[in-house]
Amino acid sequence: MSREAPLSVAERDFILKALQENTRLDGREADQFRPLSISFGEEYGHVKLQLGKTSIIVRISAEVTKPRDDRPFDGLFDISIELTAMGSPGWENGRTSDQEASVSHVLDRVVRHSNALDTESLCIVKGVSCWSIRADIHVIDYDGNLTDAACIAVMTGLQHFRRPDAVVRDGHVIVYKVEDRVPVALNITHKPLSVTFNSFNDGRDIIVDATLKEEQAAEGELVIGINSGGEVCFMSKFSGAPLDPLSIVSKVNVALEKVKALNAQVDKVLQVDLAKRAKLGMADESRAANDR
Amino acid sequence: MTSPATAAPSVPPSLSLPPSQFARLQPHAYLLAHLSPPPAMNQPSVRANGRAASQFRVTSANAGSLTHTNGSAVVRIGDTAAVCGVRAELLHTEDIASWSVSQSSSATNQSNEAGGQGTDAENEVDRAQIEDLNLLVPNLSLSTGCAPGFIPSAPPSALAQSLSHQILSLLHSTRLVKADDLRVWYQPPNLEHIENEMDVDGGSENRHPREIKAFWVLYIDIMIISLAGNAFDAAWASVLAALRDTKLPKAWWDVDNETILCSEDINEAHKLSLRGMPIASSFCVFEADAAAGWRAVVIPDAEEQNAEKQKKKGPQSRWILADPDGYEEGLTMEKACVVVDKENGKTVILKMEKLGGWTIDTEDLRQLVDISAQRWDEMKQILG
Amino acid sequence: MVGPTASLSNLHRADGSASYKCPATGFAVLGAVNGPVELPARRDALKPEEATVEVFVKPGNAVPGVGEKYVEGILRDVLSTVILRREKGLPRRGVVITLAIVGGEATERGDSYLTLLPALLHAAQLALISAAIPLPMTLATTLLGVTRSGEIIRDPSPAVAKAATSLHAISFSSKGHLLMNESLGRFDFDTWELVRQQAATICRGAATPGSDGDAAMGGTDNAHVDGFVRETVEDHLHRDYNWKLESI
Repeated sequence: MSREAPLSVAERDFILKALQENTRLDGREADQFRPLSISFGEEYGHVKLQLGKTSIIVRISAEVTKPRDDRPFDGLFDISIELTAMGSPGWENGRTSDQEASVSHVLDRVVRHSNALDTESLCIVKGVSCWSIRADIHVIDYDGNLTDAACIAVMTGLQHFRRPDAVVRDGHVIVYKVEDRVPVALNITHKPLSVTFNSFNDGRDIIVDATLKEEQAAEGELVIGINSGGEVCFMSKFSGAPLDPLSIVSKVNVALEKVKALNAQVDKVLQVDLAKRAKLGMADESRAANDR
Repeated sequence: MTSPATAAPSVPPSLSLPPSQFARLQPHAYLLAHLSPPPAMNQPSVRANGRAASQFRVTSANAGSLTHTNGSAVVRIGDTAAVCGVRAELLHTEDIASWSVSQSSSATNQSNEAGGQGTDAENEVDRAQIEDLNLLVPNLSLSTGCAPGFIPSAPPSALAQSLSHQILSLLHSTRLVKADDLRVWYQPPNLEHIENEMDVDGGSENRHPREIKAFWVLYIDIMIISLAGNAFDAAWASVLAALRDTKLPKAWWDVDNETILCSEDINEAHKLSLRGMPIASSFCVFEADAAAGWRAVVIPDAEEQNAEKQKKKGPQSRWILADPDGYEEGLTMEKACVVVDKENGKTVILKMEKLGGWTIDTEDLRQLVDISAQRWDEMKQILG
Repeated sequence: MVGPTASLSNLHRADGSASYKCPATGFAVLGAVNGPVELPARRDALKPEEATVEVFVKPGNAVPGVGEKYVEGILRDVLSTVILRREKGLPRRGVVITLAIVGGEATERGDSYLTLLPALLHAAQLALISAAIPLPMTLATTLLGVTRSGEIIRDPSPAVAKAATSLHAISFSSKGHLLMNESLGRFDFDTWELVRQQAATICRGAATPGSDGDAAMGGTDNAHVDGFVRETVEDHLHRDYNWKLESI
C-alpha cells in the first residue's frame, strides 16, 4: 500500500514548538488562508483553483435525464471526487481511501444537503425529464486542506456554470445549443463554504488552512460549513483530541469572517470572467456579422 | 537439452527433463526450439502446440443451445470456449428521458418519424438510436476457474471489462444490428380516412404518422467458460452466432390496455437482419531474441530493421502466430487484431489494431488481412 | 490550423507531469507519472525482470467505466514498448501513469476512444520524460479520418469523426517504427496505406526516403508532431538550465 510519507519526529516537534510561539512554517497568522487564485477554462463551469500548493480542477456538466420516481419535481445533483496518484503519490488509483470518503461526505453535507443548488429549478417536465448536474473534482496537487479548496472550487463552478436553455413545446423538450440561445445560470440559493480548523498542543493552538505537513502534525480537526449570512449548515468534530466548547463557538465567528472574504473574492473573479466573456461574445457577434 | 521428442521417464537419475517441464522452466527457449529447429534435424518449423504459424485452432460453433434466451451460441476455439446468450427486454419510449428531447440545431426531428428519404439520414437515425439509447448491452464475464488465477467472487477483471467494451465498440462501429429490427411501432387507426372516404384529397394518410412505442434492448451476456488464449475472437464469434440465432417475438401496442403485447407464436417471431458477418482474427508476434532485451537498450531504426530483414534471409527472428493460445500469449508483447467482412467477394476491413511492439508494419499487415480473409471463409462454413 | 500546446512539470507532488491540449479536437489532458515506485504485493502478474506499467484514465465529467479500462489497456501496451523497463532501478517496480481529461467533450458509452488517443499518448509520454523515466525513443501520434468522399482529414473534431467512414489513430516512434495502429470503420487496405503514408508525414515530417514522397505534402508541413514533442522538451530544458546558460 502506498501512503503519504510520514512526518519525521524533528519536523513534528518543530511545527508544534513554532506554533506555541504563534509562528507557522510559512509565516502566516493562525487564521490566515494561503493565497487563493481562481481561473476559468474555456467552457462554463471549468474552474481551476489554487490554494497555496493545493490545486484542483472542477468541471461541471449537465445532461437531461429522468428524475427519481420518489422525487418527480427535483433535478439531480452529484458531486464526485476521486483521489488519484496525480494529486499525491500516497493515493492509489482506483481505490477509495478514507480521506476521499471524508471529503466527499463534507462536500455532500455543505453543498448538496444545504440545498445550495436549488434542485427544484432543474425540473423540466414533472416526472419525465430534468437536468442532472455533475461536479467532477480533479485533485491535481495536494498540499493540505483539500476540503475547503474543493468546496470553494465546487461553489465557484456552480456559480460560473451555464446550462443550455430548454423549452417545453407540446410535450417535447427542445434543448437549445449554447450558440443558439444564451445559456442559463443555475439557481444558487446561498453560498456555503467549509472552513477547516486544525488543533495542536492540547487544543491551545488552532489554525485554519493547514498545509500537508501541518495536517500531519495536527491532533484534531474541526470543520464548519457556514454561509455568508452566518447560518451554520454543517459542523463536524469527528475525531482527534478534545476541544474546548468555547473555542468552537469562537471559531464559528472566525469561519464566518473567512467565508465572507472568500465569497467576496469568488464574486470578484466571477464578475471579471463574465465581463471578459461578454466582451468576447460581442466581438464574435460582430465578426460573424462582418462575415455575412 | 533434450529435444521435445525424446523424453525418457524410465531412466531415473537423468539430467534430462520431460518436455512439459522444460516448457515450464524455459518457455521462451522451448517455443523458439520448435519454431526454429536446428538445421541438422531437418524438421519443419511448427509451434509448440503443433500448429503452423498462420494456422487457427479447430473451431466449432453451436447455436441455440440455451432455452431461455432469445438467441444463444457456444463457440469453441481450441480450448477457449465462450457461451453467449441474447436476451431481449422491452424499453418503453416514455421511460427514455431523452426521447422527447431534441437538440435545436439538428434539423432532423430525430424520433417519431420513420426517417427521411435519404439513406444517409436514415443511417444516422439508426446509429443514433442504437448508440444513444443503449439498445445493445454486452457484458462479458470470465467465469471462475476458466483459467488459473480467476478466483471466486472477485470483481470483474480489467480484461473482462476491456473485452466488454471492445465488443460494444465493435457492435457500434460495424453497425451490425439494425435499429429497425428493434423498434416496436404503433400505427394509429385512420379514423378520418373512413369519414372522408369520399374526399378526393388523399393527404389525410400523413396526418397520423406511425410512432415508435418501444424498443427491444438486447442484453448480450458472454461467459468465457474456458480461457486458453485469444478470448476476443471466441467472444466475438459467439456474439455473432448468437445474434444470428436471435428471434424477437412479434410485439405491438395495445391501445385499449395501453401496454405492449407480445405474441407467443414462434412463427410470428422475426429474426434479426444483420449487416454482414464480421469475423475477428487475432495474432501475436513471437520474437527470437526477446531475451536480448536484457541488454538491448539501443533499438534499431525502422530503416535499419527493414534493411536487415531484406539483407539476410538467414535465421528468422520473429514469427507472427495466428490465434495464439494462453502459453504463447504469455511469451509475446506485440499483438494484432483484424476484423474483416466480405461483400460480393471483396474484403472489407472493419477494424485493424496493432500495438505492443515495433516489428509489424505495412507488409505484415497486408498478409494478416489476407489470412483474416481466409479465416472469414473458414468461419462462414463453421457458422453456417 | 492551430497546433497543439503542451507544457512539462506543472505539478508539484507527482514525480513527473505534463499537460497537452489539441485545439483541433478540443481535448486537453493532464498527465502525471510516479515512478519507479514500490507496487503493492497484491499484483500477481508482476514480472521479476522488468517494471510494471500502470495506466489510469480519469474522465473529465463522468465516473470511470469499462471504456476507460479498455483505453488503459491500449495505452499500457503502447507505452510499455517505449519504456526501458529493464533498466537499472526499474525491475519489480511500478511506473504509475495517471491521466485526467480536463477539457473536451465527454465520451459516450461504447465510444472507440480513438479521438482521445493522441492527446492521452502525448500527455503520458511528456509526463514520462518529465519524470525522467528512461525511454529509448519518443512517439508521435496522429488521428486521421476518412470521409465518405474518400478525403483524409487530420485531427477531426468529435462530430466529424462520428460521420467519418473510417477512423485511424496511428503512432510512430522517433525511429520510424509503426508503434500503434487502431483503425475502425469500413475501409480497404489501399485506403489504409494512404492513411499510413499521410500519418507518417504528419508524425515524422518529410516523407520517408524509401517512398517517392508527395511534393505537396513533404514541403509544406514542417511542423510535424515528432518535432513538436522535441521542441516542447527543448523549451523546458532551456528554462530549467536558464541559470546556467546566463552565467556563461
